[in-house]
Amino acid sequence: MLVDRLLRQGAMTELVGPLSSGRTSVLTLCLRTITRRGALAALVDVDHAFDPASAAEAGVDLRRLLWVRSEGRRRDALRAVDLLARCPGFTLVALDVGESPPRLSLGAAFRLRQAARRSRIALLVVGSRRVIGGAATLSVQTRRERLAWIGPGLSCRRLGGMRTGLQVVRAQGAPASLGSRRLWWTT
Amino acid sequence: MDDVSRIACVRVEAFAAAALERCEPSLREQPLAVVVGTPPAGRVVEANARARAEGVRRGLTDAEAVLRCPSLVRRPASREAEAAARHALLEACSSVSPRVEDAAAGIVHVDLGGLGGLFGGDDEIGRRLRRQARAVGLDARVGIGTSRAAAEVAARIGPSVHVLGRATQRAALAGVPLATLEWPDELSATFARWGLVTLGDLAALPRHGVGLRLGPRGLAAHDRAAGVDRAPFRPWSAPPFWEEAQGLDWEVATLPALVPVLQGVLERLCARLVRAHLVVDGLEVRLALASGGHHARALAPAVPLDDVAPLVTLLALEIESHPPPTAVTGVAVSARVVARRAVPGGLWRPPVPAPRDLAAVLARLTRLVGSANVGTPVVADSHRPDHHTLAPFGGGDGETDGPAARRHGDEDAGTTDDSAARDPSHGAAGRLALRRLRPPRRVEVDTEDGRPRRVRDTLGIDAVVELCAGPWRSSGDWWNTAAWARDEWDVELSDRTVWRLAQDRLTHAWFLDAVYD
Repeated sequence: MLVDRLLRQGAMTELVGPLSSGRTSVLTLCLRTITRRGALAALVDVDHAFDPASAAEAGVDLRRLLWVRSEGRRRDALRAVDLLARCPGFTLVALDVGESPPRLSLGAAFRLRQAARRSRIALLVVGSRRVIGGAATLSVQTRRERLAWIGPGLSCRRLGGMRTGLQVVRAQGAPASLGSRRLWWTT
Repeated sequence: MDDVSRIACVRVEAFAAAALERCEPSLREQPLAVVVGTPPAGRVVEANARARAEGVRRGLTDAEAVLRCPSLVRRPASREAEAAARHALLEACSSVSPRVEDAAAGIVHVDLGGLGGLFGGDDEIGRRLRRQARAVGLDARVGIGTSRAAAEVAARIGPSVHVLGRATQRAALAGVPLATLEWPDELSATFARWGLVTLGDLAALPRHGVGLRLGPRGLAAHDRAAGVDRAPFRPWSAPPFWEEAQGLDWEVATLPALVPVLQGVLERLCARLVRAHLVVDGLEVRLALASGGHHARALAPAVPLDDVAPLVTLLALEIESHPPPTAVTGVAVSARVVARRAVPGGLWRPPVPAPRDLAAVLARLTRLVGSANVGTPVVADSHRPDHHTLAPFGGGDGETDGPAARRHGDEDAGTTDDSAARDPSHGAAGRLALRRLRPPRRVEVDTEDGRPRRVRDTLGIDAVVELCAGPWRSSGDWWNTAAWARDEWDVELSDRTVWRLAQDRLTHAWFLDAVYD
């Protein structure tokens, strides 16, 4: 399954893409898969952008999701991820760094990676551009390929869905089978 | 009643002193007297074994007691400590038998019916009761007999676990001096006048005649001497709230000095909970202040706990955040409890954090980003957009898979093909997610025929609307002052972003509410 290829225990995965490329939908898909298996996930949300209603509609079991909001304070968000990455028992710790995030220092990135490796936690960093560089075991780029509007021409009646393309930009010991992949999201 | 086969009586001698020793274990090594009244008019109401060995007796004045035992430690009677110790003893006995009776302060009757198959013989059950009492800080004696009266006598004489055999019970009771039991002064005088020395002497008198001469109290005394129970067994059940308290003879003005007191109180409380297979789900600490008032704080651990160390840490952090206005002269902690889970999780369920680790991480996260920013999201039952709350994270207690899981399925990656392109719902990987803008960003919108055509704001957005769909009209709370009404549009801008645009129909202002991502 896609999520098992994206996320690996004890490794860091980076998911990057511009707005409306589908990166948040991929994050939600990961949260759904993890929580539906009965495992616990944590989301550290820098920009307070997570939408619980759409996540619940997507099938995320919110009872198994710990949501930490740092209200724009990126330093606090990194500390929160560091704390969570050292707490064995969470299957996934996701960090949504939001738009225009600063690049992490190499030391901070590898410190996170080491913590995740010791606790056997899958660490997922989501943002508009790459911030953890070489510490990422897998980096995946999302891009929007198509929008599906339902209805004729300018008088379309509703947004039907979106197609996202995934492309691996860095894979260090990760399965190469992910390759490039397309995902459809419905509204 | 007579038909109850085996009854144990668990008795703590000098209970008021034992309750204080439980709060201050160092007092066990010293002669201790519990006094009431203000010096020098104080009187001894109870003394521990060391003090009694020095001649300190109930009823002595404060000065007389000190004269007899110069190293005597005097403590005022503490109603809170006695109540807590009384509950602790009952709970300790409840961990052995489900049927216990609260006979008096420091005296608990335990129905042993059916316990033989679980724990063995009467001796073994008696030793188990003693161990459980000792685990909550009380040194008890146990007597076992065929009735509560007989068991209570057995608990006062002989070894610390004294079992009266069914056949020999009557004879054993007959030889016990009357002075072993406590009687009202008038009855004691009457018994002495009648020349009664042992329980057997009293039991040998005709019951009817004793009743005619001494009334109901005489009948009760006769039954007690004969080892007969007339009153029904009144089972005790644990209260929903569990409390421990400690009064202080000194004023505590700093948190470091208060922490050991909190730790002692919590250790006693947790020891009781462990015996009852319960864990703390909520704590309330009530600090008695030197000014005469109280300072109360409530605490809800992220997960139910019975470990003292994290509870002390959480409580100390709470008090540090909300310190009492003046010095503290007493501490009372009450706990809301839940049953301990038999197993931490299902055999096939993924591992979850240990409760202690999870509680510590949540406490640190709360300290880092604030309690309003940590928790599990709960979608409110409302049509108001983005209406949700944060609930304390409980580690996902509940069913693993519900109807929702079956409805959504576990397939996580639908790949596209031509059929998917024609029908987006076919083979979809999931729902398109929204990223919220909090608060929604105010924008200027040019419209044409009522439809948005251009969006711009002062922060840099200036884009043409390529496609849009809408409006979707919604409103709510029109029956109160929080009324809202809005039109929502899905718009694709020329910078390839897709937004949810909203117009407030009350103010006619436009907002970027969320972005599809």
